[in-house]
Amino acid sequence: MTGDSHMPHSDTVSSSDSGVSQAIVLCGLTKTFGTTVAVRDLDLTVPTGALYGVIGPNGAGKTTTIRMMLSILMPDRGSLYVLGRASALDAKDRIGYLPEERGLYKKMRVGAFLAYMAQLKGDNGLDLPRRIKGWLERVGLGDVERKRCEELSKGMQQKVQFLAAVIHRPDLIILDEPFSGLDPVNQRLIRELVRDEHRRGATVLFSTHVMVHAEQLCDHVVMIHRGAKVLDDGIANIRARFDPRSLLFEPLDPGADVNVLAALPGVAALRRDGAGWELALAREADPGAVIRAVASTLTPSRLEVRRPTLEDVFVSIVTADGGDAETTALRAAVRDASHAEGEVRT
Amino acid sequence: MKKILRIAQREFLATAGTKAFILGMFVTPAMIAVMIFVMPRMMQKGAPKVEGEVAVIDATGTLSSGLQAYLRPDAIARRRQDEIRKMQDAMPPALRAAGGGSAVSQAAVDQAFKNAIGDAPRLSVTTLEPGADLEGAKRRLAEVPSKDKAGTERIALVVVHADAVVLAPGKAQFGSYDLFVRGKLDDRVVDEITGGMRDAIIESRVRLSGLDRAQIDALTKVDRVRSRTVTASGENATNEVLNLLMPMAMMGLLLMSVMMSGSYLLTTTVEEKMSRVVEVLLSAVSPMELMAGKILGQLAVGLLVLALYLGLGLMALISFASLGMLDPMLIVYLLVFYLIAYVSVAAFMAAIGSAVNEMREAQGLMMPMMIVLMIPWFLWMPISRDPNSVLAVTLSFLPPLSNFVMMLRLASTTPPPVWQPLLAIVVGAAGAYGCVWFASKVFRIGLLMYGKPPSMTTLVRWVRTG
Repeated sequence: MTGDSHMPHSDTVSSSDSGVSQAIVLCGLTKTFGTTVAVRDLDLTVPTGALYGVIGPNGAGKTTTIRMMLSILMPDRGSLYVLGRASALDAKDRIGYLPEERGLYKKMRVGAFLAYMAQLKGDNGLDLPRRIKGWLERVGLGDVERKRCEELSKGMQQKVQFLAAVIHRPDLIILDEPFSGLDPVNQRLIRELVRDEHRRGATVLFSTHVMVHAEQLCDHVVMIHRGAKVLDDGIANIRARFDPRSLLFEPLDPGADVNVLAALPGVAALRRDGAGWELALAREADPGAVIRAVASTLTPSRLEVRRPTLEDVFVSIVTADGGDAETTALRAAVRDASHAEGEVRT
Repeated sequence: MKKILRIAQREFLATAGTKAFILGMFVTPAMIAVMIFVMPRMMQKGAPKVEGEVAVIDATGTLSSGLQAYLRPDAIARRRQDEIRKMQDAMPPALRAAGGGSAVSQAAVDQAFKNAIGDAPRLSVTTLEPGADLEGAKRRLAEVPSKDKAGTERIALVVVHADAVVLAPGKAQFGSYDLFVRGKLDDRVVDEITGGMRDAIIESRVRLSGLDRAQIDALTKVDRVRSRTVTASGENATNEVLNLLMPMAMMGLLLMSVMMSGSYLLTTTVEEKMSRVVEVLLSAVSPMELMAGKILGQLAVGLLVLALYLGLGLMALISFASLGMLDPMLIVYLLVFYLIAYVSVAAFMAAIGSAVNEMREAQGLMMPMMIVLMIPWFLWMPISRDPNSVLAVTLSFLPPLSNFVMMLRLASTTPPPVWQPLLAIVVGAAGAYGCVWFASKVFRIGLLMYGKPPSMTTLVRWVRTG
């Protein structure tokens, strides 16, 4: 993953314990606005070549954290290293940043805007015009290079903004809510582009308040809630740690009496879950054995081990003793409002 | 540095490359050209011809024939011809040559003069009996003129006092006359009547005193002289108007180019903030680089404006053959003070632009600066008349006013000693540095602040915490 020629080697900080070079290191970062503590004592390490998702509801402190990483805001306390430098200002040209508050020069032509952004990042390569053309074609905007930015639709503008963040082939790409305002088709396109950049060797960190987006894309998740980090782990670890230990079941015959399953060994409880049923596993029960037992009792149309969604994980972490109202509100805050919950999950 | 220049380049092109800017740059000179060359031709219709009767009630019985002679159409026409000649003589030879370059425009100039004077009116003089009914005679002035009696309606009534020509016993001063006219009478006709009365009264008084009118005229006539200015480059007719206008032109040029590029800077900054492009930029350059680039770009815009108008001004001076009036050092000073004044104003504009959410909110914050920049206009007259007064000297060391006031003084007839403009440059540069320092603090914080429109106190607080 780190074999790309653009990858930094010489000037990255090596963490003492793992020996892997770190793209971002935050230590005890704190930022206060007036009386509001936006970010509280945040530690974070992003290894080079990783694909990190920073998740949390609106107002959690994601944007403030990102702005501090980029030295757009200065932390009140704490230290940070970005690409081995004490300030992102010294590594600006190697960082690609898509802010949440993003815009274009309305009167500028798309090609000129991308060239301008690349040049501000120190990319004056002779092949720049060719690369711009290539990128535009790749996102389906091959014919807009000579158009003024204001002539583009909102979705097209978002894609151009994304290109502006990656056009100069940065080593570190930071995307703040890259999917907001995009339809599912374009969300998928951006997802693929992010994966491509990651494959190229870039370290990617993106923030989102929609947990599903993080599940679809990243290999490591950092959850922030009210300015503090509440979870920092790989997706696989999270799945293991927050295994709900339950099965999802839908009978082939909708009229079948499902209640017989409650009596099976290893099944602790049976409850309705949407169109199907959720079977809570008893402590120590082997999921494989229970699956076999269920399948031989009633023919299933669907039978699977339930996986924890990040949403469930998030809610379970932050509402250790919260009521139903709070849980509902939190769940609403971390879902994509633009389309239904039943979106395809990878 | 490369990034700053790239930002400056974009800023310059985004401002000076727009149709609106190019159009705006040429509209003002075009309007001046219209005033000079097109307007006179459009005025060829001239004033309407005046016809009518001037009634005279003459208690002295000696004046009406003199008035009649004075108001004869050919006499009026002759006097107006003389006027035209005098006006043409007063014109700078270069302008006459420029205007007379083609026969057409010479004709246009003649026509312009003729129009200014108007067609000769046809006036008849009617003498009324000394005992005539004054009120009745006045009433005829108020009558509505009728078409069928055209040319005979009464337009004026002259009532001569009995002692207008011969002193009344026991009095040291002659009497005069009363003049009544109808409504909306061309003032040039009134001038003709008063001129005629004056002439006729003097004529009568001189004759009755047994003196010779021609001799008195000759004795009292002294030609008006025009001074000639002697400079190193030769001798020229003094151009008083130019002497007075030069300081204002210099300062106006300075103020205009500073204000123009300054307000462009404000607009582009607010636009960048409003369109949310600013955070994208901040990921590539530091706030200071961004501000420096923008200020540099608009500096180029201002210099373009300055160069264009300075060029026009120089062309005008050349055509008036008065280029010698302009000390080349003045242009050097103009550029230096432009630089200082621009940086001071631009820094403020950038700060304000970064602090507000939209153009409307900028108005309130700009108020103090606008007031400061208006002061030189009010002080133009007193300072260019008396460029070494305490007021002038004090203000010329008080940035940011110093730049404008010093320019006024430098272009005036008595420029200050050399150490003063040099000191003003030092003081001005220090002021500009202060402005940039203040602006950089505000700019850094303001760019990412959205929401409540800030006040001046907010800005000062940002500077303190920044």
